[in-house]
Amino acid sequence: MTSMPSNVATRPRKSIDGWRWVGRLFLALMLFYTAVPMIWMLITSIKSGFAAMQFPPQWWPNEPTLASYYKLLDPTSSVGNDFLRFFWNSLFVSVSTTILAVIVAVPAAYAFSRFDFPGRKFLFFTVLLRNMFPAVIFLVPLFILMRLLGLVNTHGSLVLTYLTFGLPLAIWLLKGFYDNIPHQLEQAARIDGASRFQAFILIVMPLSAPGIIATAIYSFIGAWNEYIFAYTFLNKNDQLTLPIGIQRFFSENTTDFPGLMAASFMMSVPVVVLFLLLQRYFVRALTEGAVKH
Amino acid sequence: MTLATRLADAPLRENSKEPGVLQRAWINRADYLYVLPSIVVMLIVIAYPIYYTIELSFFTTPPSLQLRDKIFVGLDNYSLILTSDVFWRVTANTFIWTIVSTFAAFVLGLGTALALNHEFVGRGVLRAILIIPWVISAVAASYIWKWIYHSNFGVIGAVLVSLGITDRPPNFIDSVSTVLPSLIVVNVWREFPFAMIMLMAGLQTVPDQLLRAARVDGANAWQSFWHVTFPHLQGVSTVTILLLAVSNFNSFIIPWIMTGGGPSNASHIWITHIYELAFGRQRWGIASAYSVLLFIIMMTLGYFYVRALSGAERKDRG
Repeated sequence: MTSMPSNVATRPRKSIDGWRWVGRLFLALMLFYTAVPMIWMLITSIKSGFAAMQFPPQWWPNEPTLASYYKLLDPTSSVGNDFLRFFWNSLFVSVSTTILAVIVAVPAAYAFSRFDFPGRKFLFFTVLLRNMFPAVIFLVPLFILMRLLGLVNTHGSLVLTYLTFGLPLAIWLLKGFYDNIPHQLEQAARIDGASRFQAFILIVMPLSAPGIIATAIYSFIGAWNEYIFAYTFLNKNDQLTLPIGIQRFFSENTTDFPGLMAASFMMSVPVVVLFLLLQRYFVRALTEGAVKH
Repeated sequence: MTLATRLADAPLRENSKEPGVLQRAWINRADYLYVLPSIVVMLIVIAYPIYYTIELSFFTTPPSLQLRDKIFVGLDNYSLILTSDVFWRVTANTFIWTIVSTFAAFVLGLGTALALNHEFVGRGVLRAILIIPWVISAVAASYIWKWIYHSNFGVIGAVLVSLGITDRPPNFIDSVSTVLPSLIVVNVWREFPFAMIMLMAGLQTVPDQLLRAARVDGANAWQSFWHVTFPHLQGVSTVTILLLAVSNFNSFIIPWIMTGGGPSNASHIWITHIYELAFGRQRWGIASAYSVLLFIIMMTLGYFYVRALSGAERKDRG
């Protein structure tokens, strides 16, 4: 910053405004890129099957209809029955994974943040290393392992797998939160006569609630959207989770794009709502580990 | 503190300790209880599969996966892979896919993060909308884009025709030359919000005083970005790029759902190819050998990356 041009005094104001306009234009383009596919999904989902298959397309349907949604949500029709079952399966698997992930990750993250024991560095390294393995490497051996444990075609196989694959990230996220809680708080509690465990439960846990919420959202969204393991481990129709169920639905009704778009929309609703409600925690947790110095 | 510094510092601290390892392990025995649940789960579900994949890569197996009947073939699986044309085709696709997606997602994420980095009306709403593609399922995203790209009724084709750019809607994902770029657009659509979130948080660490000082010194917007903001973003950027690259290298859902690797392998990347070999054609031995090769490549790249990273940081500190 030592050598600056001599005519600078005349230009800062104007050039900053110029960049601001570039920024606005860029944001508008990105908004277009992001939103148009989602809007087109919604518009298609309220068309009839016939109206969707027209060229040029109806930019706004001549006769908007919620028929696709009624069909998917009607428990008496076979499509609706399936869809609701898949939805319930996804919910069950995601909630179980989330609860277990929090139970296992909280003590581990706390230990990584606070204690200095041999192998701690090595363990943490393996935790991070896990992220470099593609899921496919694990598919065959895991499939055999699940067969051995008698878990093929059960939701237990998915919960166990998601738990493992979610743990490294969960531990990393939570560790970031524990690092931020001052040791002195616990020490004060210890001096007042609390055991290490009591200090953990009574002092640290309540303070780390935002981290736990964030970890829970991560686990939930990860499990809700997971595809490859569910695709491999489950093949009974009444066990499928939503991503697989939707794929099966599409391979049987290849031209029902309104139905497919309505199903995609409803599949996205829970995670998007959850994300919008708890955005604050979500964003903070993700960036905690990466930004801090 | 970034991942790289943690890893780089580890051996130094280990050496400076006085008591022996076993002694320390015994002193701290209660601490292991906190980590025990994670270790048990990981050993079962991670260590065993890795061992098993390596073993299987030296065997040929019958389609039924009756493991008693597997036949030892030494390195045949590896030489078969390395001499096949498909391997090189798929490898080229994987590198194009990974590098272009990572670069585009990072640049778009950086751009949006910078543009969102000052207060204006509707900023929160805009940010939330921009993040949504990252939250929704990749399966849903794949179907949405498959419909947008549809060769007869796709909306992009229709717009191009009505603007008079083409006579008939182009075949985005059914033609060998356009399929990979089309899929990368979908992948970037899903991934740039991640880079955006990370970099927005990184921007918060840039001290306001420095930016103001730069402005007083007469720096224009570009100069203050390049000399003040960008150096502060280096740590976050490296982590972001690393995470993006790893997840792109391991992509599966988008190519698998949208094209299944076709037409004629033009959109097959490593993972979709391995999946097809294993579960489509039941060639478990070859698929395992592929996985091992993939892992070696990832470890090599990761090693150089972490080394470059910690080298750069050491230089930073002087």
